[in-house]
Amino acid sequence: MADFKYIRPDNLPEALDFLWDNGQDTAIIAGGTDVMIDVKSGKLDKKYLLDISRLDELKGIELNGRDLCVGSGVTLSEIYTSALLASNALALQKSAVNFAARQIRNIATIGGNVAHSSPCGDTVPSLLLHDAIALVADKKGIQHIPMEQMATSAYMSSLTPQQIIVKFILTPYQDGYADFQKIGRRKELAISRMSMAAFVKKDSTGRISFLKLALGACTPVPCSMGAVEAFLTGKVPTRELLWEAGGLLAERMIEITGNRSSTIYKKPAVQGLFMRILFPMVGS
Amino acid sequence: MKSEYNSIGKNIQRRDIVEKLTGQANFCADIALKDALSLKVLRSSRHHAVIDKIDVSDALKIPGVVNVFTAADIPGKNLMGIINKDQPLLAHDKVRSLADPVALVAAQTDEIARQAIKVINVTYTDLEPIFDIEAALAPGAPKIHKKGNTLFTRRIKKGDAGTAFETCHTIIEKKYMTHAVEHNYIEPDAGAGYVDEDGTLVIYASTQNPHYDHKEVQGFLGLKDDQVRIIQAATGGGFGSKLDLNVQGFIGLALYHLKQPVRYVYTREESYLATAKRHPFTIHMKTGADKNGKLKAIHIRAYCNTGAYGSYGIAVASRSAVHGTGPYEIDHVDIECACIYTNQPFCGAMRGFGAPQMAFAHESQMDLLAKKLGMDPMEIRMLNGFKKGSINGTGQQLIDSVGYPECLEKIMPYYEEALTNWVTEKTTPFTKRGIGIGGMWYGIGNTGVQNPSTARIELDQNGRVILYTGCADIGQGSSTILTQVAGEVLGIAPEAIQLVVGDTKFTTNAGATSASRQTYISGNAVKDAAEQLARVLLTEGANKLKVSKTALSFGDHSLQIAGHPERSVAFDWLAKRIHEKGVSLSWQGYFDPETIPLDLETGQGSPYATYAFACHLALVEVDVLTGQVSVKKIVAAHDVGRAIHPENVIGQICGGVAMGVGFALMEAFEFGKTLSMKDYHIPTCADMPEVIPIIVESVEPTGPFGAKGVGEPALIPTAPAILNAVSHALGKRLYSLPADLESVLQASIDSGHFGPEEKM
Ligand SMILES: Cc1cc2nc3c(=O)[nH]c(=O)nc-3n(C[C@H](O)[C@H](O)[C@H](O)COP(=O)(O)OP(=O)(O)OC[C@H]3O[C@@H](n4cnc5c(N)ncnc54)[C@H](O)[C@@H]3O)c2cc1C
Repeated sequence: MADFKYIRPDNLPEALDFLWDNGQDTAIIAGGTDVMIDVKSGKLDKKYLLDISRLDELKGIELNGRDLCVGSGVTLSEIYTSALLASNALALQKSAVNFAARQIRNIATIGGNVAHSSPCGDTVPSLLLHDAIALVADKKGIQHIPMEQMATSAYMSSLTPQQIIVKFILTPYQDGYADFQKIGRRKELAISRMSMAAFVKKDSTGRISFLKLALGACTPVPCSMGAVEAFLTGKVPTRELLWEAGGLLAERMIEITGNRSSTIYKKPAVQGLFMRILFPMVGS
Repeated sequence: MKSEYNSIGKNIQRRDIVEKLTGQANFCADIALKDALSLKVLRSSRHHAVIDKIDVSDALKIPGVVNVFTAADIPGKNLMGIINKDQPLLAHDKVRSLADPVALVAAQTDEIARQAIKVINVTYTDLEPIFDIEAALAPGAPKIHKKGNTLFTRRIKKGDAGTAFETCHTIIEKKYMTHAVEHNYIEPDAGAGYVDEDGTLVIYASTQNPHYDHKEVQGFLGLKDDQVRIIQAATGGGFGSKLDLNVQGFIGLALYHLKQPVRYVYTREESYLATAKRHPFTIHMKTGADKNGKLKAIHIRAYCNTGAYGSYGIAVASRSAVHGTGPYEIDHVDIECACIYTNQPFCGAMRGFGAPQMAFAHESQMDLLAKKLGMDPMEIRMLNGFKKGSINGTGQQLIDSVGYPECLEKIMPYYEEALTNWVTEKTTPFTKRGIGIGGMWYGIGNTGVQNPSTARIELDQNGRVILYTGCADIGQGSSTILTQVAGEVLGIAPEAIQLVVGDTKFTTNAGATSASRQTYISGNAVKDAAEQLARVLLTEGANKLKVSKTALSFGDHSLQIAGHPERSVAFDWLAKRIHEKGVSLSWQGYFDPETIPLDLETGQGSPYATYAFACHLALVEVDVLTGQVSVKKIVAAHDVGRAIHPENVIGQICGGVAMGVGFALMEAFEFGKTLSMKDYHIPTCADMPEVIPIIVESVEPTGPFGAKGVGEPALIPTAPAILNAVSHALGKRLYSLPADLESVLQASIDSGHFGPEEKM
């Protein structure tokens, strides 16, 4: 293990000051559940570890008018147990249910999940679903970055070494149907082979009036699935229609990724998972 | 035999439980030796290569590096292996896999040792590497070992299978594949050691076989018996992998040269790379039955890839061949199982020695036959299953303790209930339910070889009983069981017996903790020792109490006249008296199960003295849209002879089921790719089904109080039962393990379940 200097600032300005001068040589650590793996394997060679896990400015979940704010330092356990999220961002709350296992959920943060920019990050699809915007700070000011622009490629975030994600601002969804599901190689403690979040509203005639959809672990960076949303909007969901839409979704995924060895599984599984998530919309 | 026991069948507190629960148990990594040096091995960077030169000069220049050893520093014989000796402690002329150790560094810290191995310069000349069996057997293939690439073939030939197939009504012929599997015990391999005042090398080991370790280390170093002492530290699981040496040899070599305390604790990554795996198998199996479903003939050609070294490969090939028929009567048998060298890191023993791989095949065959014949899977097993008097493929008649029919009977009500009520119940959309049966038999002890155990019981002058056993308790609970056996014979509470376990200075060889053999074999050795001590006590008791020996019974550390507890004589008095008379208070026990070696050409013989039997029922749900499988329930009936400690038996069954779920659905070790637990999935508690353990006691007359064994049997039927259940759910069979997301979804697609409408 490399020799780090461990630094724990008392407040956000102090942290931003430190990063302004030493960002290049610093790794930010929140829960550490990604960072420590790189530390142990020797992949991370920096001089400083800046611990932001106790910064109050990064904590808390609150609803301010039309803004649902989730601090970057909020842990997955807090997401799991948040009643506010269960009623305003159910998919996000559900993304914590099968996230790792309890020990990890107790320390892992949503900010770390996003900043790590893994294609398999389980909170990412739900954040996309809610058009989340990351509020990102450095010593000189604040920037608003939409979720779609948080990652430039797999495991590469668009953050500069001087920046910290402070919070995420989500559009809350109250009435409607929301779900998040993931497929892993076992029921707990598994990296997503695939995940999906969906939010659906139907009008009084049974037609889909609003649909948002996001895929996880399928594309290197989060991608919009607007074509599928458009295809279904205004239509009455039937088994056949959903199946067709699932097929479109799989095609859209392959357009982005090309055919890989994993496509043999992922192509049908995307269609299948889509069917499983949207099926409760049929006939109800 | 007595009907009521004092200790046998009681769930007494386990010997090591308090230390384990309070964190006081000392595992090797916890053993703190003053100024201990850290050891670290440089492993090969080549799959297959000749070593031209090893240059350690740069490593020696690093401050804190104490020394670097190579094969040239081994004073004795640089070869190990419990069955065949083909594995060097440190590679000398060539390397045969990426796991091969090339040089050993001793340094002041782990970190310095790690740096040092990076600057050791090894010059290799590459040889063509071979990874699969086809390539290893191809004409002109490079030889991995001088004797060639086939390590061993076990043949079992009975009757005339070729002709018998011609008269069969129904024949099923299929190919089955299984994957390499990692044991993944909780405690990564570790060891520590020091040189004591009289020059003995004392080595703490995380091991399943301390007395074997003792001989190997002596051999490397050319030392005498009493110059090496192996002490088994608390051992956090083994499942077969800790039957091989892990770090004992390295510790011994460093102690020999440096005379300074050393320690070596594998990281999880090193434990994954350097230790044995379960053999991957390819099995071609052809089974024929008459029109009533009675099995007539079986033909098996199986290959197991043992990687670079034999380890337990010969035992795996041998046992899997014997168990190829499954627990079924078949008159005509033609089985060959070959163990093949390749340049993968080596495979060795893992819970079941090839029987789990074979069970996947024979239990799939039984279901396929039943389907083709229009029979019920239980019916075909009942019809063909071993019963008292059956003759197995090796020509051995099974006389006593054949509990297979009873296991099936115990499962039957659960099976019928599940079939009529559970499978047909309405489920969540796109979920298919299925149930499956897995049957198994398992020979207790090593296959067709003598494998005795010894034990010693001592009465001290204060009347206390001390039991010395070389039997390694690796968490399965043998120490507790052995005290129950001794306690039962001597009429004392098992808890009152002092134990000395797995310390070669004091204990004698009990053989390996493997092959589900310790309860049966070491249990009998302990019983023998206890009975000898009892005889001496009875003689002296009769002298004192002036009644015949038959009138005496054991009380609490005393002998009494049966029915007159006031007329008794205490052990301490007897001990002094016996000692005064010059009679020994220390008695050695011995037991070697009755076996007849298997004929090399025909495999006929008596490979084991007794067999365990089991049957599992699996209830599964398959998500036809994604290939996810959820095991809901396992009902597990096990004939264990007699359950000396029923809770221990249940513990083994539940643990076996967990491992079986992993083997069935998710465990696949990819050599070169699987580096640590982040790449390798074993079940978590979320994946565990409800388990209903059922203990069947078909008493074994030669067993200690009727006991056989359960350690490996616990795992064997689970994967076959799950795979049969998945096939039942989808109407489509899978022929390779694990049945992962990809293969189950493919089966769902192929069987027409994948679509917008749900297929019945
Ligand atoms: C056993 C195990 C299981 C796991 N299972 C899952 C799972 O099921 N699903 C899943 O999605 N992930 C999983 N992970 C990955 C990991 O737990 C998550 O990505 C987690 O959310 C990371 O959060 P953290 O607070 O631990 O991040 P850290 O490890 O502290 O940081 C991760 C990265 O983000 C940066 N960072 C952290 N916070 C900020 C911030 N506020 N601003 C800017 N940069 C920041 C760090 O510098 C680092 O680069 C698992 C990890 C382990 C070890």
